[in-house]
Amino acid sequence: MTNDKLIQVKDLKKYYNKGKIKALDGVTVDINKGDVMVIIGPSGSGKSTFLRSLNLLEVPTSGSIIFEGVDITQKKGPDGKKLDIDLHRQKMGMVFQHFNLFPHKTILENMTLAPIRVKKVPEEEAKAKALELLNRVGLADRADAYPIQLSGGQKQRVAIVRALAMEPDVMLFDEPTSALDPEMVGEVLDVMKELAHAGMTMAVVTHEMGFAREVGNRVLFMADGKLLEEGSPEQIFGSPQNPRLQDFLSKVL
Amino acid sequence: MLTAQGFSKAFEYWQLFLQGVACTVSLSALTVIFGFILALFLAVCRMGKMKVLKALATAYVELFRATPMVVQIFIIFYVVFDGVKVLPGFKLFGFIRFERFFPAVVALSLNSGAYLSEIIRSGIQSIDGGQTEAARSLGLNAWKTMRFVVLPQAIKNILPAIANEFVTIIKESAICYTIGVQDIMSAVNAVKGATYRMGEALIIATALYFCLTYPTSKIIAHFERKMSVGDKR
Repeated sequence: MTNDKLIQVKDLKKYYNKGKIKALDGVTVDINKGDVMVIIGPSGSGKSTFLRSLNLLEVPTSGSIIFEGVDITQKKGPDGKKLDIDLHRQKMGMVFQHFNLFPHKTILENMTLAPIRVKKVPEEEAKAKALELLNRVGLADRADAYPIQLSGGQKQRVAIVRALAMEPDVMLFDEPTSALDPEMVGEVLDVMKELAHAGMTMAVVTHEMGFAREVGNRVLFMADGKLLEEGSPEQIFGSPQNPRLQDFLSKVL
Repeated sequence: MLTAQGFSKAFEYWQLFLQGVACTVSLSALTVIFGFILALFLAVCRMGKMKVLKALATAYVELFRATPMVVQIFIIFYVVFDGVKVLPGFKLFGFIRFERFFPAVVALSLNSGAYLSEIIRSGIQSIDGGQTEAARSLGLNAWKTMRFVVLPQAIKNILPAIANEFVTIIKESAICYTIGVQDIMSAVNAVKGATYRMGEALIIATALYFCLTYPTSKIIAHFERKMSVGDKR
Protein backbone atom coordinates (compact mmCIF):
# COMPACT_ATOMS: atom_id res chain seq x y z
CA MET A 1 0.00 0.00 0.00
CA THR A 2 1.34 3.36 -0.92
CA ASN A 3 0.84 6.23 1.40
CA ASP A 4 -1.09 8.46 -0.91
CA LYS A 5 -4.09 6.13 -1.07
CA LEU A 6 -6.51 7.54 1.48
CA ILE A 7 -9.49 5.32 0.75
CA GLN A 8 -9.45 2.05 -1.16
CA VAL A 9 -12.85 0.73 -2.15
CA LYS A 10 -12.94 -2.88 -3.30
CA ASP A 11 -15.85 -4.56 -5.02
CA LEU A 12 -18.42 -2.64 -3.00
CA LYS A 13 -21.97 -4.00 -3.24
CA LYS A 14 -25.20 -2.84 -1.71
CA TYR A 15 -28.29 -4.93 -2.35
CA TYR A 16 -31.85 -4.34 -1.26
CA ASN A 17 -34.70 -6.84 -1.21
CA LYS A 18 -32.35 -9.81 -1.12
CA GLY A 19 -30.51 -8.82 -4.25
CA LYS A 20 -33.46 -7.73 -6.37
CA ILE A 21 -32.30 -4.14 -6.25
CA LYS A 22 -28.62 -3.58 -6.76
CA ALA A 23 -27.88 -0.05 -5.62
CA LEU A 24 -24.16 -0.73 -5.81
CA ASP A 25 -22.96 -3.57 -7.97
CA GLY A 26 -19.25 -4.00 -7.45
CA VAL A 27 -17.51 -0.64 -7.29
CA THR A 28 -13.73 -0.57 -7.01
CA VAL A 29 -11.86 2.70 -6.79
CA ASP A 30 -9.03 4.36 -4.89
CA ILE A 31 -9.20 7.86 -3.54
CA ASN A 32 -5.79 9.44 -3.20
CA LYS A 33 -4.73 12.21 -0.90
CA GLY A 34 -5.49 15.57 -2.46
CA ASP A 35 -7.94 14.14 -4.97
CA VAL A 36 -11.00 16.11 -5.89
CA MET A 37 -13.07 13.26 -7.14
CA VAL A 38 -16.37 14.19 -8.72
CA ILE A 39 -19.02 11.51 -9.16
CA ILE A 40 -21.62 12.08 -11.83
CA GLY A 41 -24.43 9.98 -13.23
CA PRO A 42 -28.18 9.81 -13.72
CA SER A 43 -30.43 9.69 -10.65
CA GLY A 44 -30.71 6.22 -9.23
CA SER A 45 -27.26 5.35 -10.47
CA GLY A 46 -26.02 4.63 -6.95
CA LYS A 47 -23.67 7.59 -6.66
CA SER A 48 -25.20 8.83 -3.39
CA THR A 49 -25.30 5.29 -2.01
CA PHE A 50 -21.62 4.98 -2.90
CA LEU A 51 -20.71 8.19 -1.12
CA ARG A 52 -22.81 7.35 1.93
CA SER A 53 -21.16 3.93 2.10
CA LEU A 54 -17.76 5.51 2.52
CA ASN A 55 -18.54 6.48 6.12
CA LEU A 56 -20.96 3.60 6.58
CA LEU A 57 -24.13 5.66 6.75
CA GLU A 58 -25.15 2.92 4.34
CA VAL A 59 -23.83 -0.43 5.42
CA PRO A 60 -22.64 -2.27 2.30
CA THR A 61 -23.77 -5.81 1.61
CA SER A 62 -20.24 -6.87 0.71
CA GLY A 63 -16.90 -5.48 -0.32
CA SER A 64 -14.38 -3.53 1.67
CA ILE A 65 -13.54 0.08 2.39
CA ILE A 66 -9.99 0.59 3.56
CA PHE A 67 -9.67 4.03 5.11
CA GLU A 68 -6.20 5.07 6.25
CA GLY A 69 -5.15 1.44 6.30
CA VAL A 70 -8.14 0.08 8.25
CA ASP A 71 -10.95 -1.92 6.69
CA ILE A 72 -13.91 -0.15 8.28
CA THR A 73 -16.46 -2.67 6.98
CA GLN A 74 -15.09 -5.25 9.42
CA LYS A 75 -16.55 -5.75 12.90
CA LYS A 76 -13.09 -5.91 14.40
CA GLY A 77 -10.24 -3.46 13.98
CA PRO A 78 -6.62 -4.42 13.28
CA ASP A 79 -5.94 -4.54 17.02
CA GLY A 80 -8.53 -7.30 17.40
CA LYS A 81 -10.90 -5.09 19.37
CA LYS A 82 -14.35 -4.00 18.21
CA LEU A 83 -13.93 -1.49 15.40
CA ASP A 84 -14.98 1.97 16.53
CA ILE A 85 -16.62 3.49 13.48
CA ASP A 86 -17.17 6.80 15.31
CA LEU A 87 -13.41 7.24 15.45
CA HIS A 88 -13.11 6.90 11.68
CA ARG A 89 -16.13 9.06 10.99
CA GLN A 90 -14.42 11.92 12.80
CA LYS A 91 -11.85 11.87 10.03
CA MET A 92 -14.48 11.99 7.27
CA GLY A 93 -16.49 15.18 7.06
CA MET A 94 -19.84 14.92 5.34
CA VAL A 95 -22.05 17.56 3.76
CA PHE A 96 -25.65 16.70 2.90
CA GLN A 97 -28.09 17.87 0.28
CA HIS A 98 -30.47 19.16 2.94
CA PHE A 99 -27.74 20.67 5.17
CA ASN A 100 -29.00 18.86 8.29
CA LEU A 101 -28.00 21.61 10.68
CA PHE A 102 -29.28 21.13 14.21
CA PRO A 103 -32.22 23.55 14.44
CA HIS A 104 -32.21 23.77 18.25
CA LYS A 105 -28.62 24.98 18.36
CA THR A 106 -27.03 28.24 17.28
CA ILE A 107 -24.58 28.25 14.39
CA LEU A 108 -21.68 28.32 16.83
CA GLU A 109 -23.17 25.48 18.90
CA ASN A 110 -23.72 23.46 15.73
CA MET A 111 -20.03 23.78 15.02
CA THR A 112 -18.67 23.17 18.52
CA LEU A 113 -20.91 20.24 19.51
CA ALA A 114 -18.77 17.47 18.03
CA PRO A 115 -15.36 19.00 18.86
CA ILE A 116 -16.41 19.50 22.51
CA ARG A 117 -18.38 16.29 23.03
CA VAL A 118 -16.37 13.91 20.90
CA LYS A 119 -12.85 15.26 20.68
CA LYS A 120 -13.01 16.85 24.15
CA VAL A 121 -11.60 20.14 22.88
CA PRO A 122 -11.89 22.84 25.58
CA GLU A 123 -14.96 24.99 24.96
CA GLU A 124 -13.07 28.27 24.45
CA GLU A 125 -10.70 26.67 21.99
CA ALA A 126 -13.57 25.08 20.05
CA LYS A 127 -15.39 28.41 19.89
CA ALA A 128 -12.32 30.28 18.69
CA LYS A 129 -11.72 27.70 15.99
CA ALA A 130 -15.38 27.78 14.92
CA LEU A 131 -15.32 31.57 14.65
CA GLU A 132 -12.17 31.42 12.59
CA LEU A 133 -13.85 28.95 10.21
CA LEU A 134 -17.00 31.06 10.06
CA ASN A 135 -14.86 34.02 9.22
CA ARG A 136 -13.37 32.06 6.33
CA VAL A 137 -16.81 31.64 4.78
CA GLY A 138 -17.92 35.16 5.64
CA LEU A 139 -20.47 34.21 8.29
CA ALA A 140 -18.76 35.23 11.52
CA ASP A 141 -21.52 37.74 12.23
CA ARG A 142 -24.13 34.96 12.23
CA ALA A 143 -22.47 32.87 14.94
CA ASP A 144 -25.31 33.37 17.41
CA ALA A 145 -28.13 32.99 14.90
CA TYR A 146 -30.24 29.85 14.62
CA PRO A 147 -30.22 27.84 11.38
CA ILE A 148 -33.76 28.89 10.50
CA GLN A 149 -32.59 32.52 10.30
CA LEU A 150 -30.12 31.68 7.51
CA SER A 151 -30.59 31.36 3.76
CA GLY A 152 -30.01 28.01 2.08
CA GLY A 153 -26.60 28.99 0.80
CA GLN A 154 -25.57 30.25 4.23
CA LYS A 155 -26.80 27.01 5.83
CA GLN A 156 -24.73 24.92 3.48
CA ARG A 157 -21.64 27.03 4.10
CA VAL A 158 -22.17 26.48 7.82
CA ALA A 159 -22.63 22.74 7.23
CA ILE A 160 -19.29 22.66 5.41
CA VAL A 161 -17.39 24.45 8.16
CA ARG A 162 -19.19 22.37 10.80
CA ALA A 163 -17.64 19.31 9.20
CA LEU A 164 -14.27 21.10 8.88
CA ALA A 165 -14.29 21.90 12.60
CA MET A 166 -13.51 18.22 13.22
CA GLU A 167 -10.38 18.59 11.04
CA PRO A 168 -11.22 15.68 8.74
CA ASP A 169 -8.81 14.08 6.29
CA VAL A 170 -11.46 13.82 3.59
CA MET A 171 -14.69 15.65 2.85
CA LEU A 172 -17.69 13.90 1.33
CA PHE A 173 -20.28 16.05 -0.44
CA ASP A 174 -23.66 14.51 -1.24
CA GLU A 175 -25.27 16.78 -3.84
CA PRO A 176 -24.42 19.89 -1.80
CA THR A 177 -26.08 22.36 -4.15
CA SER A 178 -29.14 20.40 -5.29
CA ALA A 179 -31.50 21.85 -2.70
CA LEU A 180 -30.38 25.44 -3.22
CA ASP A 181 -31.97 28.28 -5.11
CA PRO A 182 -29.93 28.93 -8.26
CA GLU A 183 -28.53 32.23 -7.05
CA MET A 184 -27.06 30.55 -3.98
CA VAL A 185 -25.25 27.74 -5.77
CA GLY A 186 -22.25 29.91 -6.55
CA GLU A 187 -21.45 30.87 -2.97
CA VAL A 188 -21.35 27.23 -1.91
CA LEU A 189 -19.28 26.14 -4.90
CA ASP A 190 -16.84 28.96 -4.16
CA VAL A 191 -16.27 27.59 -0.66
CA MET A 192 -15.73 24.11 -2.07
CA LYS A 193 -13.35 25.45 -4.68
CA GLU A 194 -11.31 27.22 -2.05
CA LEU A 195 -11.23 24.01 -0.03
CA ALA A 196 -9.98 22.05 -3.03
CA HIS A 197 -7.26 24.59 -3.69
CA ALA A 198 -6.19 24.33 -0.06
CA GLY A 199 -5.44 20.67 -0.74
CA MET A 200 -8.41 18.98 0.93
CA THR A 201 -9.23 15.49 -0.33
CA MET A 202 -12.80 15.58 -1.57
CA ALA A 203 -15.39 13.23 -3.00
CA VAL A 204 -18.28 15.12 -4.52
CA VAL A 205 -21.56 13.82 -5.89
CA THR A 206 -23.01 16.61 -7.97
CA HIS A 207 -24.95 17.67 -11.01
CA GLU A 208 -22.78 20.77 -11.40
CA MET A 209 -20.81 19.82 -14.50
CA GLY A 210 -19.03 23.17 -14.47
CA PHE A 211 -17.63 22.38 -11.04
CA ALA A 212 -16.63 18.87 -12.11
CA ARG A 213 -14.76 20.25 -15.09
CA GLU A 214 -13.12 23.16 -13.38
CA VAL A 215 -12.27 21.85 -9.91
CA GLY A 216 -12.21 18.06 -10.16
CA ASN A 217 -9.01 16.22 -10.99
CA ARG A 218 -10.90 12.95 -11.50
CA VAL A 219 -14.42 12.33 -12.70
CA LEU A 220 -16.32 9.10 -12.13
CA PHE A 221 -19.38 8.18 -14.13
CA MET A 222 -21.82 5.78 -12.49
CA ALA A 223 -24.96 4.09 -13.77
CA ASP A 224 -26.98 1.13 -12.49
CA GLY A 225 -24.75 0.80 -9.44
CA LYS A 226 -21.64 0.35 -11.55
CA LEU A 227 -18.63 2.51 -12.18
CA LEU A 228 -18.75 2.74 -15.97
CA GLU A 229 -16.05 5.26 -16.75
CA GLU A 230 -13.33 7.14 -14.99
CA GLY A 231 -10.91 9.76 -16.13
CA SER A 232 -9.74 13.31 -16.03
CA PRO A 233 -12.36 15.98 -16.68
CA GLU A 234 -10.87 16.48 -20.15
CA GLN A 235 -11.31 12.80 -20.98
CA ILE A 236 -14.79 12.46 -19.52
CA PHE A 237 -16.21 15.64 -21.02
CA GLY A 238 -13.94 15.83 -24.09
CA SER A 239 -13.96 12.28 -25.36
CA PRO A 240 -16.43 10.09 -23.48
CA GLN A 241 -16.17 6.40 -24.42
CA ASN A 242 -19.12 4.64 -22.82
CA PRO A 243 -22.40 5.13 -24.76
CA ARG A 244 -24.27 5.63 -21.45
CA LEU A 245 -21.92 8.47 -20.59
CA GLN A 246 -22.27 10.00 -24.05
CA ASP A 247 -26.03 9.81 -23.71
CA PHE A 248 -25.93 11.30 -20.19
CA LEU A 249 -23.69 14.17 -21.22
CA SER A 250 -25.84 14.97 -24.25
CA LYS A 251 -28.74 15.48 -21.84
CA VAL A 252 -27.06 17.55 -19.17
CA LEU A 253 -24.64 19.72 -21.12
CA MET B 1 -78.05 20.51 48.56
CA LEU B 2 -74.85 22.36 49.34
CA THR B 3 -75.03 24.49 52.46
CA ALA B 4 -72.67 26.89 54.20
CA GLN B 5 -73.04 24.78 57.29
CA GLY B 6 -72.04 21.71 55.30
CA PHE B 7 -68.91 23.47 54.10
CA SER B 8 -67.91 24.60 57.55
CA LYS B 9 -68.41 21.04 58.76
CA ALA B 10 -66.32 19.66 55.93
CA PHE B 11 -63.62 22.25 56.64
CA GLU B 12 -63.33 20.86 60.13
CA TYR B 13 -61.54 17.97 58.45
CA TRP B 14 -59.02 20.25 56.71
CA GLN B 15 -56.18 18.20 58.06
CA LEU B 16 -57.45 15.13 56.18
CA PHE B 17 -57.65 17.13 52.97
CA LEU B 18 -54.16 18.49 53.52
CA GLN B 19 -52.83 14.99 54.02
CA GLY B 20 -54.77 13.95 50.94
CA VAL B 21 -53.08 16.64 48.88
CA ALA B 22 -49.65 15.59 50.16
CA CYS B 23 -50.49 12.00 49.31
CA THR B 24 -51.80 12.77 45.83
CA VAL B 25 -48.81 14.97 45.05
CA SER B 26 -46.23 12.42 46.18
CA LEU B 27 -48.12 9.63 44.43
CA SER B 28 -48.21 11.59 41.17
CA ALA B 29 -44.63 12.80 41.42
CA LEU B 30 -43.27 9.31 41.98
CA THR B 31 -45.45 7.99 39.17
CA VAL B 32 -44.13 10.65 36.79
CA ILE B 33 -40.52 9.76 37.66
CA PHE B 34 -40.86 5.96 37.51
CA GLY B 35 -43.32 6.09 34.62
CA PHE B 36 -40.93 8.23 32.58
CA ILE B 37 -37.95 5.95 33.21
CA LEU B 38 -40.04 2.92 32.28
CA ALA B 39 -41.34 4.75 29.22
CA LEU B 40 -37.83 5.61 28.00
CA PHE B 41 -36.84 1.97 28.40
CA LEU B 42 -39.96 0.74 26.57
CA ALA B 43 -39.50 3.27 23.78
CA VAL B 44 -35.87 2.23 23.29
CA CYS B 45 -36.93 -1.44 23.21
CA ARG B 46 -39.64 -0.78 20.66
CA MET B 47 -37.31 1.15 18.37
CA GLY B 48 -34.35 -1.16 18.80
CA LYS B 49 -33.15 -4.02 16.66
CA MET B 50 -33.69 -6.86 19.14
CA LYS B 51 -36.85 -8.59 18.01
CA VAL B 52 -37.64 -10.27 21.33
CA LEU B 53 -37.41 -7.02 23.29
CA LYS B 54 -39.42 -5.28 20.63
CA ALA B 55 -42.23 -7.86 20.81
CA LEU B 56 -42.28 -7.87 24.60
CA ALA B 57 -42.38 -4.08 24.84
CA THR B 58 -45.12 -3.88 22.21
CA ALA B 59 -47.19 -6.53 24.00
CA TYR B 60 -46.73 -4.68 27.28
CA VAL B 61 -47.83 -1.35 25.87
CA GLU B 62 -50.85 -2.81 24.11
CA LEU B 63 -51.93 -4.75 27.20
CA PHE B 64 -51.75 -1.79 29.55
CA ARG B 65 -53.47 0.54 27.15
CA ALA B 66 -56.31 -1.89 26.47
CA THR B 67 -57.33 -2.71 30.04
CA PRO B 68 -59.02 -0.54 32.68
CA MET B 69 -56.89 1.21 35.25
CA VAL B 70 -59.00 -0.09 38.12
CA VAL B 71 -58.40 -3.70 37.05
CA GLN B 72 -54.66 -3.10 36.84
CA ILE B 73 -54.52 -1.49 40.27
CA PHE B 74 -56.55 -4.32 41.85
CA ILE B 75 -54.31 -6.94 40.27
CA ILE B 76 -51.19 -5.19 41.53
CA PHE B 77 -52.60 -4.67 45.02
CA TYR B 78 -54.60 -7.83 45.67
CA VAL B 79 -52.69 -10.34 43.54
CA VAL B 80 -49.09 -9.19 43.13
CA PHE B 81 -48.70 -7.76 46.64
CA ASP B 82 -51.35 -10.08 48.12
CA GLY B 83 -53.24 -7.26 49.80
CA VAL B 84 -51.29 -5.81 52.71
CA LYS B 85 -49.54 -9.04 53.62
CA VAL B 86 -46.28 -8.68 51.68
CA LEU B 87 -45.09 -5.14 52.33
CA PRO B 88 -44.02 -3.79 55.73
CA GLY B 89 -46.71 -1.67 57.32
CA PHE B 90 -45.11 1.66 58.23
CA LYS B 91 -46.19 5.22 57.61
CA LEU B 92 -44.54 7.79 55.35
CA PHE B 93 -44.56 11.35 56.79
CA GLY B 94 -46.46 9.81 59.71
CA PHE B 95 -49.75 9.28 57.86
CA ILE B 96 -49.27 7.63 54.41
CA ARG B 97 -49.63 3.88 54.80
CA PHE B 98 -46.73 2.45 52.81
CA GLU B 99 -48.25 -0.99 52.22
CA ARG B 100 -51.08 0.66 50.27
CA PHE B 101 -49.18 3.60 48.86
CA PHE B 102 -46.42 1.56 47.25
CA PRO B 103 -48.66 -0.77 45.18
CA ALA B 104 -50.49 2.34 43.97
CA VAL B 105 -47.21 3.91 42.78
CA VAL B 106 -46.31 0.65 41.03
CA ALA B 107 -49.68 0.32 39.30
CA LEU B 108 -49.83 3.96 38.19
CA SER B 109 -46.21 3.88 36.96
CA LEU B 110 -46.76 0.71 34.95
CA ASN B 111 -49.85 2.25 33.38
CA SER B 112 -48.46 5.69 32.58
CA GLY B 113 -45.20 4.14 31.39
CA ALA B 114 -47.14 2.46 28.61
CA TYR B 115 -48.78 5.72 27.52
CA LEU B 116 -45.64 7.85 27.88
CA SER B 117 -43.56 5.37 25.89
CA GLU B 118 -45.83 5.83 22.90
CA ILE B 119 -45.53 9.61 23.22
CA ILE B 120 -41.74 9.42 23.47
CA ARG B 121 -41.49 6.97 20.58
CA SER B 122 -43.55 9.15 18.26
CA GLY B 123 -41.53 12.18 19.34
CA ILE B 124 -38.22 10.53 18.54
CA GLN B 125 -39.48 9.16 15.24
CA SER B 126 -40.77 12.57 14.22
CA ILE B 127 -37.19 13.89 14.07
CA ASP B 128 -35.80 13.85 10.55
CA GLY B 129 -33.33 11.02 9.93
CA GLY B 130 -30.91 13.57 8.48
CA GLN B 131 -30.32 14.88 12.01
CA THR B 132 -29.05 11.50 13.14
CA GLU B 133 -26.98 11.09 9.99
CA ALA B 134 -25.38 14.49 10.44
CA ALA B 135 -24.56 13.77 14.08
CA ARG B 136 -23.17 10.31 13.34
CA SER B 137 -21.10 11.63 10.45
CA LEU B 138 -19.50 14.08 12.87
CA GLY B 139 -18.40 11.14 14.98
CA LEU B 140 -21.02 11.30 17.74
CA ASN B 141 -21.95 7.83 18.95
CA ALA B 142 -25.55 6.62 19.12
CA TRP B 143 -26.06 7.73 22.72
CA LYS B 144 -24.56 11.20 22.25
CA THR B 145 -26.61 11.63 19.09
CA MET B 146 -29.72 10.81 21.09
CA ARG B 147 -28.78 13.04 24.01
CA PHE B 148 -27.54 16.17 22.22
CA VAL B 149 -29.39 16.11 18.91
CA VAL B 150 -32.51 13.95 18.82
CA LEU B 151 -33.95 14.06 22.37
CA PRO B 152 -33.81 17.86 22.81
CA GLN B 153 -35.81 18.29 19.62
CA ALA B 154 -38.12 15.35 20.34
CA ILE B 155 -38.94 16.48 23.87
CA LYS B 156 -39.77 19.95 22.61
CA ASN B 157 -42.23 18.44 20.14
CA ILE B 158 -43.92 16.15 22.64
CA LEU B 159 -44.03 18.52 25.60
CA PRO B 160 -47.75 19.27 25.19
CA ALA B 161 -48.54 15.55 25.10
CA ILE B 162 -46.33 14.92 28.14
CA ALA B 163 -48.05 17.75 30.03
CA ASN B 164 -51.36 16.16 29.20
CA GLU B 165 -50.15 12.81 30.53
CA PHE B 166 -48.86 14.40 33.76
CA VAL B 167 -52.23 16.02 34.33
CA THR B 168 -53.89 12.69 33.58
CA ILE B 169 -51.71 10.98 36.18
CA ILE B 170 -52.80 13.45 38.88
CA LYS B 171 -56.43 12.89 37.99
CA GLU B 172 -56.19 9.10 37.56
CA SER B 173 -54.46 8.79 40.93
CA ALA B 174 -57.88 9.43 42.50
CA ILE B 175 -58.71 5.81 41.78
CA CYS B 176 -56.15 4.74 44.36
CA TYR B 177 -58.54 5.44 47.22
CA THR B 178 -60.20 2.13 46.25
CA ILE B 179 -57.22 0.27 47.70
CA GLY B 180 -57.09 2.45 50.77
CA VAL B 181 -54.53 5.07 49.77
CA GLN B 182 -55.28 8.24 51.75
CA ASP B 183 -55.36 10.67 48.87
CA ILE B 184 -57.79 13.54 48.31
CA MET B 185 -60.65 11.21 47.34
CA SER B 186 -60.14 9.19 50.48
CA ALA B 187 -60.52 12.40 52.50
CA VAL B 188 -63.87 12.93 50.77
CA ASN B 189 -64.88 9.44 51.79
CA ALA B 190 -63.85 10.00 55.37
CA VAL B 191 -65.83 13.24 55.58
CA LYS B 192 -68.85 11.47 54.11
CA GLY B 193 -68.57 8.76 56.77
CA ALA B 194 -68.32 11.27 59.59
CA THR B 195 -70.91 13.86 58.49
CA TYR B 196 -73.25 11.92 56.19
CA ARG B 197 -72.71 14.65 53.62
CA MET B 198 -70.65 14.32 50.42
CA GLY B 199 -71.41 17.33 48.19
CA GLU B 200 -69.32 19.90 50.03
CA ALA B 201 -66.37 17.54 50.36
CA LEU B 202 -66.55 16.80 46.63
CA ILE B 203 -66.51 20.50 45.81
CA ILE B 204 -63.43 20.93 47.97
CA ALA B 205 -61.81 17.94 46.28
CA THR B 206 -62.63 19.40 42.87
CA ALA B 207 -60.98 22.69 43.80
CA LEU B 208 -57.92 20.90 45.16
CA TYR B 209 -57.46 18.76 42.05
CA PHE B 210 -57.83 21.82 39.85
CA CYS B 211 -55.23 23.67 41.88
CA LEU B 212 -52.83 20.79 41.25
CA THR B 213 -53.46 20.18 37.55
CA TYR B 214 -53.83 23.72 36.24
CA PRO B 215 -50.41 25.01 37.41
CA THR B 216 -48.81 21.78 36.17
CA SER B 217 -49.93 22.39 32.62
CA LYS B 218 -49.05 26.09 32.88
CA ILE B 219 -45.52 25.36 34.09
CA ILE B 220 -44.92 22.95 31.22
CA ALA B 221 -46.34 25.45 28.74
CA HIS B 222 -43.75 27.91 30.03
CA PHE B 223 -40.91 25.48 29.28
CA GLU B 224 -42.43 24.82 25.89
CA ARG B 225 -42.13 28.51 25.00
CA LYS B 226 -38.56 28.61 26.26
CA MET B 227 -37.54 25.61 24.21
CA SER B 228 -39.08 26.76 20.94
CA VAL B 229 -36.39 29.43 20.59
CA GLY B 230 -34.93 27.89 17.44
CA ASP B 231 -38.27 27.97 15.65
CA LYS B 232 -38.59 31.72 15.32
CA ARG B 233 -37.18 33.77 12.55
